[in-house]
Amino acid sequence: MDDTLSVLARVDAEKLKTFAETLIPDLGEIEVLQSQSGLVMLPMRDTAKGVAFHLGEVLMSEAHIRKGEVQGYGMRRGHDLEASMAMALVDLAMATGVRRADCKAFCDAQAEALQQADDDVLRRVEATRVNMETF
Amino acid sequence: MAYVATRGGERAIEQSERLFREEMGGFDRDRVEEVKKSLPYLIDRVMGEASLYDEDLAALALAQTGGELYEAVLLLRAWRTTQPRLQVAEPVEQDTLFTHRRISAAFKDIPGGQVLGPTLDYAHRILATDVLQGALYAPDPVEPADTPSPAYQPSVSAWQSENDLLDPPADDPTKSNNIPDLTREPLLFPSKRAHTLQSLARAETGGVLALGYAAMRGYGQAHPTVNELRLAEAEIAVTHPDGRQFSAGRVKVSQAEVVDKKGEKLSIGYAATFGWNEVKCIAAATLDLNSPGAEKGSATEEEFFLYHTEGVESSGFCIHFKLPHYVTFQSSLDAMRDAKAKKAAKAPEPSSSEAVGQTKSEPAE
Repeated sequence: MDDTLSVLARVDAEKLKTFAETLIPDLGEIEVLQSQSGLVMLPMRDTAKGVAFHLGEVLMSEAHIRKGEVQGYGMRRGHDLEASMAMALVDLAMATGVRRADCKAFCDAQAEALQQADDDVLRRVEATRVNMETF
Repeated sequence: MAYVATRGGERAIEQSERLFREEMGGFDRDRVEEVKKSLPYLIDRVMGEASLYDEDLAALALAQTGGELYEAVLLLRAWRTTQPRLQVAEPVEQDTLFTHRRISAAFKDIPGGQVLGPTLDYAHRILATDVLQGALYAPDPVEPADTPSPAYQPSVSAWQSENDLLDPPADDPTKSNNIPDLTREPLLFPSKRAHTLQSLARAETGGVLALGYAAMRGYGQAHPTVNELRLAEAEIAVTHPDGRQFSAGRVKVSQAEVVDKKGEKLSIGYAATFGWNEVKCIAAATLDLNSPGAEKGSATEEEFFLYHTEGVESSGFCIHFKLPHYVTFQSSLDAMRDAKAKKAAKAPEPSSSEAVGQTKSEPAE
């Protein structure tokens, strides 16, 4: 799995939009191939027989852009076309080398924040660890 | 279909919908947010039964229908059909689940240990009536542990397979785009396993519980023990146009395995659904466990439980009976009268003394 894209897909939408806006002047002219919301079917693996089956569909927003031959893509949960476009802009900037250091710093900081949030959740989960004793 | 061969009543119909909606009044984004934040387990249930994951849409459907669950699920299922499918994600594997709760009733010392996670299993069920007197209900905060729980937990059934208690699952080479899909093809019997599990994932919770409970009480062949129950978040692994895979976010899922102890090895039933809904998963897994060899027409027979737990179809069929059936019903009455007349014509003439005191019993129309 691509860690950078995975971070961009989960990062706070407002922070992503604010950062992506700063990239627009440097990116220059881009072509928007797709900006839409729709559904992604999510399959799951059955642990009894090993069969993959469809759990259901998830509402997602998608943006697909291009600058020359280089593609930028964003897909995030929910209906937020601005956020998916912002993700695509950051992806395109990194792929074309536009303000790559800034993009990397943004992604690294957000990855750390997401990891911290996950750790907070998991420390709360750990508080519920139980050691059963039988009598 | 002659069910609604009727005209008139347009004004009454319009006013009746207004009367329904008047009770809830108008609503806006704030109410949708409030529903979403205050009723997460109801949101989960609706998303699971609608087979559509989006908390905002589920909260909107609940706000719009005043909490009429069947109507809310119907709205979401209908809306779903208007949307394009962007991709089919990669299958979620159990060992990639970001796990919040994982317990086993079969073994206390499972690999990775047991975390209770969010649950009311051991809580006192006392209604907080003080709130109605103006008191604030403020739950005590969780005291986090110093170290985080492992995000990913091993599989109990894999450990049992290694110890020869269970037959390991077979490899399924089916690519994501080729997984049988009930939303695009009919449910036929014997059902493909992918159809069975998809159907249970979107089944109506109460229906699954009723039939699963019947099996648990003894109307099935196998008594379930919860091998593993998980509440978790699953990554949505999608593909960038250049081929890179990434997680486009997480969704809450529930997963249950139940086992039966007859024979030389354990037999296992499985179910999963969107959202956190343990009752549905345990009941559905119990039906899966019981379905092999189930008697035709029994509650644990696949065709029986899959058809009868499909919430939109079953609630729709149920409520259609209240719609005007005047033509079909009158036709049935005509047939009854005809049969009665023929029977009367064949019967011997009553004597004059027997005819005294007879009254006409035809109902008024």
